[in-house]
Amino acid sequence: MAIKFKAALDILLPYLKKYRFRMVWIFLLVILVVSTDLVQPIIVKEAIDKHISVPHPDMGSITLMTGIYFIVVIAAFGLTYYQNILLQETGQSIIKHIRTDLFRHLQGLSLKYFDRNASGRIITNVVSDTEALNNFFTDFLANNIKSIFTLIMIIVFMFQLNIKIAAYCFLVVPLIIIISAYFQGKLRAINQEMRSRLSTVIAFLAENLAGMSIVQIFHQEKKQFREFDLRNTKLLESTMVENQLTLAYFLFTESLGDIGVAALVWFGSGPVIRGSVSFGVLYAFIGYIRRFFQPINSITMQLNVLQTMLVATERIVRTFNEKPDITEIAGAKVPAVKGGISFNATHLAYKEDNDILKGIDLEIKPGDRVGFVGASGAGKTSLMSLLARFYDPTGGSVKIDGVDIREWPLKELRQTVGIVQQDITLFAGTVLDNIRFFRKEIPATRVYEVSKMIGADDFIRRLPLGYETLLSEKGATLSFGERQLLSFARVMVFDPKILILDEATASLDSESEAVLQEAIGKVSGGRTLLVIAHRLSTVQQMDYIVVMDDGLIVEKGTHEELLKKSGHYTTLHKSGLLIEEALI
Amino acid sequence: MTNNDKAKKKSKESGWYLLWEYAREHPFIYFVSVASIGLSAILAVIIPRIIGQFTDSFKAGTLDVSGAWKYTWLVFVVGIARVSFGWIGRLLAAQHGRVITYKIREKLFKKWESLSPSYYHGHSVGDLLSHALSDVEVVRQVASMGINITVNGIFMLGAALYMMIIHMNWPLAIAGLGPLIAIPVMVRYYGPRIKEQSAKLQAALGNMSQTVEEIFGGIRTVKAFGNENVVIGRFEEKVDNIVSERIKFVKLSSIFGALVPLMASLGFVIVISYGSFLTINRTISLGDFVAFLLYLTLLRQPLEQLGNMLNVIQRSSASLGRISELLNVPPMVFDGTGKLHNSPVKGDIEVKNLTFRYPGTPVNVLKDISFTIKRGRTLGIIGPIGSGKTTLAHLMLRLYEPPAGSIFIDGVDIREFSVEHLRKSIAYVPQNGFLFSTTVLENIAFSEDKADEEKAVNSAIITAVDEDIRKFPDMYGTEIGERGVRLSGGQKQRVAIARMIYKNAPVHILDDSLSAVDTKTERLILTNMKNEKFPEIAGRSKSTIIISHRLSAVMNANEIIVLDRGRVFERGNHASLVKAGGLYARLWNMQAGISGRHGFPDDDGANRTEMLEALIDEDAQTVKIKEAEEGA
Ligand SMILES: Nc1ncnc2c1ncn2[C@@H]1O[C@H](COP(=O)(O)OP(=O)(O)OP(=O)(O)O)[C@@H](O)[C@H]1O
Ligand SMILES: Nc1ncnc2c1ncn2[C@@H]1O[C@H](COP(=O)(O)OP(=O)(O)OP(=O)(O)O)[C@@H](O)[C@H]1O
Ligand SMILES: [Mg+2]
Ligand SMILES: [Mg+2]
Repeated sequence: MAIKFKAALDILLPYLKKYRFRMVWIFLLVILVVSTDLVQPIIVKEAIDKHISVPHPDMGSITLMTGIYFIVVIAAFGLTYYQNILLQETGQSIIKHIRTDLFRHLQGLSLKYFDRNASGRIITNVVSDTEALNNFFTDFLANNIKSIFTLIMIIVFMFQLNIKIAAYCFLVVPLIIIISAYFQGKLRAINQEMRSRLSTVIAFLAENLAGMSIVQIFHQEKKQFREFDLRNTKLLESTMVENQLTLAYFLFTESLGDIGVAALVWFGSGPVIRGSVSFGVLYAFIGYIRRFFQPINSITMQLNVLQTMLVATERIVRTFNEKPDITEIAGAKVPAVKGGISFNATHLAYKEDNDILKGIDLEIKPGDRVGFVGASGAGKTSLMSLLARFYDPTGGSVKIDGVDIREWPLKELRQTVGIVQQDITLFAGTVLDNIRFFRKEIPATRVYEVSKMIGADDFIRRLPLGYETLLSEKGATLSFGERQLLSFARVMVFDPKILILDEATASLDSESEAVLQEAIGKVSGGRTLLVIAHRLSTVQQMDYIVVMDDGLIVEKGTHEELLKKSGHYTTLHKSGLLIEEALI
Repeated sequence: MTNNDKAKKKSKESGWYLLWEYAREHPFIYFVSVASIGLSAILAVIIPRIIGQFTDSFKAGTLDVSGAWKYTWLVFVVGIARVSFGWIGRLLAAQHGRVITYKIREKLFKKWESLSPSYYHGHSVGDLLSHALSDVEVVRQVASMGINITVNGIFMLGAALYMMIIHMNWPLAIAGLGPLIAIPVMVRYYGPRIKEQSAKLQAALGNMSQTVEEIFGGIRTVKAFGNENVVIGRFEEKVDNIVSERIKFVKLSSIFGALVPLMASLGFVIVISYGSFLTINRTISLGDFVAFLLYLTLLRQPLEQLGNMLNVIQRSSASLGRISELLNVPPMVFDGTGKLHNSPVKGDIEVKNLTFRYPGTPVNVLKDISFTIKRGRTLGIIGPIGSGKTTLAHLMLRLYEPPAGSIFIDGVDIREFSVEHLRKSIAYVPQNGFLFSTTVLENIAFSEDKADEEKAVNSAIITAVDEDIRKFPDMYGTEIGERGVRLSGGQKQRVAIARMIYKNAPVHILDDSLSAVDTKTERLILTNMKNEKFPEIAGRSKSTIIISHRLSAVMNANEIIVLDRGRVFERGNHASLVKAGGLYARLWNMQAGISGRHGFPDDDGANRTEMLEALIDEDAQTVKIKEAEEGA
């Protein structure tokens, strides 16, 4: 508990510190609000004792007292409101900072992390775990300050009244602490369980919502529902247990109050009958003991809020503790970019001892146009992802312009290397913004120019609002080829020095592809171009072609040279050419 | 519409029916829950009375040890009873509150399963998720605490009012309680505003989830562009929006929350001045006056609680509204009410004068398309991007509803099929080949409840991915990551095709599903699909539609149609289309031309025969490999 609490505090403290004056001010406000609450009965008592129940009541002073009371009531109202808003504003600012910091941190993590963690889980982390902190600011803080304040006052009163009885009352405190510690431990465990099950449910939902059409096409609604039910039931079970625990805890603390009164009646009567304690004192104690337990109850009730918050914070902390394994070295400088690439005995393993790239040696000169072909799964995409430092090689090195890319500043590296990926991602926003990737500094004219060049302008202009058309959910209403053109345009707009096309034309017809290639030809002056394709016609124009197989480079040469070799390339080529075979 | 219907409709919109429905199913539990909480509240009032009697007997000097013992027990028993009843009531209510949230999540999922693709085009995954995440959470609050606070509050309120009325003189009561009349007015004024603001807040939360989902779904792209700062900016916008909506909400709800108890305090002010006046006039006794003040204080706490409760109710009402809005979306494709066609499909497909326009768009994307595919035959569809190929496939699956009398299977309009039967009869590989983050085996066997491993392996052999899978660390048990990130592009496609094969439906549709495999593998797969080697899943009897940009995938089809801007532009078989010299021939020249796009190579007469022989050789080899594997 202590460690958890500390971890949570470590993360919250810097944020709270930022608002320390505000927090102090809020604290004072809460005390003020509590005081106005406490002062009200005192005023009434004064009014009755001194002004009403006197032999000659004076209407004027009664009016005065009423006026004071009225002012206090209004002040209480205003202060409560003000304090509430202030606390919420502060809380919201803190949550906002935590959220954006968390998001920023996640953005910095490497792809290995994202390969492992479903986006549904990340959503739960950023959206829901941070939201759980909200309760802390709405209820927890204000209520507990109030409770503690009241508790202290009551304790003071009790000790003033009779030290001995007060001391006896305090015997229950260790009991409360022990039992609380027990329940807190259990509650924390179940809260952890609950949150993790919630994130499982959300991850499942996220995935199935994204793939709903597959579920429907395969008519597996029932099966997926059962799968969902399994997870949802697990979540239900843990929320049930959590609730049972909370209420058992409630049962315990609530009954303590009444048991306390019963004990007082029993143990108190003796001394009172014997006359060692006045009845008034006993009566007052009975009143106090009940009021003594009220704030304790409300504090213990809030402890569940605290647990929820601690567990959520813990989950946030865990994310903050994930360190990116792709980092840039301090003070990395950008070399003058020419676009030469070299792979030196490069190895890559996604899982230990399972090399996907088994020693790649390749020298690419600036401005070279290189085709990459090879069986599916040979490692072409993996090789390219090394260039963008999605992953670091597990052996050997990758250099651009003679400098190991690990010594490049990441941002510049990724601006130098532009990849049109096999998987297309578009975002909610206009076509224009998608092409310039929301970088407002890129003028629209540049976007138009590029789109025209690559042959995307036509279809974009046919859209209802042209470039201003809002893409619905990730471009789902566009055809695949259209989406591919957009993602192509996006890379071209950024005009990278090294351009990588990973099956970037697989969803295009050959005519669109020809337009594209012409466009690339036009702008590629001095640009290094790496093209992966299974359609050989796509790569045969290249300066030379690299053939990969099972993590190694097996052939290299121009189209003609490779055909002469009658090796891997020739086989691929032939099967593409096969004509009129009677299969049917 | 009768009044009753209207009321029903209204409650459907407001979403409260979600809670009532459940409460009505379990009246007993709710009765016990309310009764227990009520009882507990009554017992809570009894304890001070016992103490009172205890005091009285003390004062009277009649208290001895056995009397003290009696009171001790009384306090103890009543106290424990009070707590226990409170516990039972809360437990029942809270546990059922949780069951309700569970049920709402189930309902949401069921609903989502019934919605058509066009719905998903308008609604982002992240936003939908937020319904199951944030809105359900809000509802849980009212469902589990609502009863407790409301019953408690009402009881305490009732008790305090009762005490005042039986002890009181009327003018004072009316004066003291007068301000409370303002409460309903406030509820009327603030209620809808709080609700509206809460809905805005929930929408803002949904917006943020949408951004998060989208950005982390496309993290590779973000990273590839070094665009982290831009997306952080986008995210911050959403977060700022949440903060501002929340502050607005807090302002409304805290002023309302504070105003309600304020009314009690104002009543207090009135009573002090007016009451003291009456006391001085000797209209009422000092004791009555003090007692009245006391009862009035008792009002404050329940009013505070009720104020909070009303706040929570408005919040939930907003969230319930959002949820029920979602639950009320009608599913797009209905099974007709008539007799639905359900007999096994043989696989004769006919499309007649099919013209189609996406709902809400101005242009037809398919115009007057006709073709037939006899059982066991193959149709190739090619055409430029955006020419309507995928649309055609989607219509056959009724992901969008085709016009009546345009698509027939075995001579029956597919609109007369049940959706279930139709989709069972067609196996489809979508263009993006979405895979789930489960194991390879579960992905291939997606169409069945329990994976048949042998069948899955056979499907993988047919789609030439078995060899790849066997190289994975856990083979068929390998978890492939979200959307198959741990697979290569071509592996993903082949697993998606294997999933189609496994389904063993009489009609196969491949939508550009071979674009990421090399031509050799492509040929192998297409050959295997027609091979009788695994008759239980593949063979000549399957009717096949192959959509492709690569002509090598369709060249062996019985018929090929060339679509352009939604029209059939050319049709025929490979030879006739090449001869015709149209679009197909142009594409063919580009793809097959040895010297690029300059047309047919002249020198390939001899070459071609040679290649053909080599390939047939290869085919023989692949069959051998498979046989060897089976023997092993
Ligand atoms: N993120 C990853 N985690 C684990 N394994 C991976 C990951 N990405 C790829 N692999 C594995 O590495 C191998 C090479 O994949 P890669 O994507 O580089 O192939 P490729 O040559 O691009 O194939 P294709 O032509 O099918 O796209 C494959 O066997 C694949 O399963
Ligand atoms: N849900 C939709 N709502 C509105 N328009 C759509 C929708 N889906 C596709 N379209 C439009 O209809 C046209 C045909 O799209 P379709 O996906 O059928 O093309 P396609 O032939 O499959 O192209 P590709 O080869 O690029 O996959 C395109 O112009 C596309 O923008
Ligand atoms: Mg690849
Ligand atoms: Mg398509």
